[in-house]
Amino acid sequence: MPVTFNIPSGLREFTGGQRKVHVEGSPATLADALSALWAKYPGVRDRIANEQGQIRQHINVFIGEEDIRYTGGLMSPLPSGSEISIIPAVSGG
Amino acid sequence: MIGQVLGHCRVVAKIGEGGMGVVYRAHDEVLDRDVALKVVKKGVGLDQTAGQNLLQEARASSSLAHPNICTIYEVGETEGELYIVMELVEGKPLHVMSGDQGMPSDAVLRCGGQIASALARAHDRGIVHRDLKSANILVTADGQVKVLDFGLARQVGVGKYDAATRSFATMQETSVISGTLPYMAPEVLRGEASDYRSDLWALGVVLYETASGRLPFEGQTAFEISSAIMREVPTPLGPPVPPGLWSIIQRCLAKEPMQRYQRASEVQAALEAVQSARMTSADRAPEPGGPPTTILHQVRHLPVKRGDFCLLVGTVKGAFLLRSNRQRRKWELGGPYFHGNMVYAMAYDNRAGRRRIWASTQSYWGTQLRSSDDFGKSWTNPPESPIRFPSDTGLSLKNIWQISLGRPEEPDVLYCGVEPAALFESRDDGNTWSLVRGLFDHPHRPRWVPGNGGLALHTIVLDPAEKQRMYVAISAGGVYRTDDGGATWKACNRGIKVTHMPNKYPEFGQCVHKIVMHPAHPGRLFLQNHGGLYRSDDYGENWNDIGNGVPSDFGFAVVVHPRKPECVYVVPVESDQFRCTCDGRLRVYRTRNAGESWEPLMRGLPQKDSYETVLRDAMTADSLDPVGIYIGTRSGQVFASHDEGRNWQRIVGGLPAVLCIREALIDDAPASTKAVARMKRSPAPQKKSPAKSRRKKK
Repeated sequence: MPVTFNIPSGLREFTGGQRKVHVEGSPATLADALSALWAKYPGVRDRIANEQGQIRQHINVFIGEEDIRYTGGLMSPLPSGSEISIIPAVSGG
Repeated sequence: MIGQVLGHCRVVAKIGEGGMGVVYRAHDEVLDRDVALKVVKKGVGLDQTAGQNLLQEARASSSLAHPNICTIYEVGETEGELYIVMELVEGKPLHVMSGDQGMPSDAVLRCGGQIASALARAHDRGIVHRDLKSANILVTADGQVKVLDFGLARQVGVGKYDAATRSFATMQETSVISGTLPYMAPEVLRGEASDYRSDLWALGVVLYETASGRLPFEGQTAFEISSAIMREVPTPLGPPVPPGLWSIIQRCLAKEPMQRYQRASEVQAALEAVQSARMTSADRAPEPGGPPTTILHQVRHLPVKRGDFCLLVGTVKGAFLLRSNRQRRKWELGGPYFHGNMVYAMAYDNRAGRRRIWASTQSYWGTQLRSSDDFGKSWTNPPESPIRFPSDTGLSLKNIWQISLGRPEEPDVLYCGVEPAALFESRDDGNTWSLVRGLFDHPHRPRWVPGNGGLALHTIVLDPAEKQRMYVAISAGGVYRTDDGGATWKACNRGIKVTHMPNKYPEFGQCVHKIVMHPAHPGRLFLQNHGGLYRSDDYGENWNDIGNGVPSDFGFAVVVHPRKPECVYVVPVESDQFRCTCDGRLRVYRTRNAGESWEPLMRGLPQKDSYETVLRDAMTADSLDPVGIYIGTRSGQVFASHDEGRNWQRIVGGLPAVLCIREALIDDAPASTKAVARMKRSPAPQKKSPAKSRRKKK
């Protein structure tokens, strides 16, 4: 089962306007799925992660409804068919 | 040897043999880990003193903790045999990886950058490798480079030529010279004093070999090889080797050490710049779905034409364009561009026929440097951010505080001052950027501390006459000057007071808010400090207080009149605790005698209930006659004076807090240079059809 990314509006200019992106090949971890996402759509990478490969401070990533900060970060395991959401945090002035 | 115990390591199997000795896989029985054990051959010209020296050097090398340097755990001596216990690296030597054809250029750049990074660390610690060669460099399965045998070559000479490993070392009677002949620099062969620049020569040989599969200086005998090294120019490497890589190799292989790079960190930065150029260059297949240019919709665009005069205004929620003509009486507002993004820095580049606006944008999606060649209708949005900290720094870009154009005679040069405090440079019109390592590696850097706004390099001042000289200002680090084009930097803060340390006049650590220079008077600088107004008349060596008669010497912005070097403008605020204009009156102060005295300018500015702040880049002067002065406030108002400060008018109110203001005088661009400017942009802008989703959300 492929995993599915929900792409927020601010990043859709880098996914050809797509709201959902499917990644084939049953990635085992979130890191694997993200690698596959940005192999497909390179512009997404630098918006989600900084140049040291860490998820940006005010970007939240969820596997299903679980915030990955509490499931193992980038190494979080991905159940088959997972839905991954990328959502900017509530912050700013 | 198998089964023997040296120190607390049991020898398991032989891995290889080189000029210096035999290498074994061994097991450290105390720490229960596999290690590599090198036993130095007897009778390789190692007398007792040399043996002791080798031990010392190996101990020094063991302090080099770096991901690309094979770690030395232990050195010892047993029964007259010297042995070195080191990290066991599972990998292939670089010359095996290169084969006869060489490696793909991306891999060469990646490996080369890691080798240069390892050399930079060792050289900083005063350790020269002296026998860098592809056989001494291992590449692990995941592409990590490990440089072996740091500093071990000095004392050991070997007198044989081994064609299989291409290992050859000359040995004079007292074993002073050592190394491997095809990698030896001319000065080493001449028997002259050698230093870290001889390692950079060897790095050039390694890069050449890795890129092409052959050595740059070849021969059947030692004499032929030496002669080629001393006199010949290597055969040029053409495609697929990128020209940028070839020019780096050439510079490493300059016969005179002075003509080479002077630091390994410079080679590293150059390799990274070529690498990042390839990531974003047009010769790659277009990225699927990643338009290089974004058109902003639902934004008010102004038609800008020749003869117009514009202000670029960066705010905490986006950028705006204010358009007028040379009379500067009526103004129109365009924008907002980049809804919701903080725009700390803007610049207008009209060099070489361009009409380009630069802007830095910061949001939760990171910081980007973007440009527009059509006055804001479309903006570049590179899929990969070109300004990025190299991986060995462990840092990531937080913000771009300053965009500075290079000198007019260097129209493709740009600088960016960023947070965390660092300077980036581009020499190709902003397509690729490299970290200025000379400043980044400054020993003071770990002791710079963040100011209220973060640890930022926010000011860049170029000396127009002396091309090797420039200044930067860092909060809170102070002023630094280079006189050698960025290779080395000197703290220039003598006389500038700090309030946040027990020592009120430290060498560095000042919270400098802004410095300016008049191009006609490059030795003179004016400085607005976090408390304190100063002038230097000796290129920043000494600073003298000039806050004579201002109501407060606290402030952020300082601007110099473009034609009168004695005329300077500041906007004092009350104090560190209350960063608002004094007594609720917005007043610009001007000196016309380089700070001997100051006069308030207030006609047309609010003089009641006006608690304003003008931030460090929110004041600018134009280049028209009479000169216009502009200030933007934290309350989102922009005031303009088109008569050098005598009379003011509010030209817009109600913007988000203003972070920066820059002028753009729209000249005519000659048709031929315009075409050149367009051709040099890569990738070419692709205009996409309007789509609501492309608009940045607030």
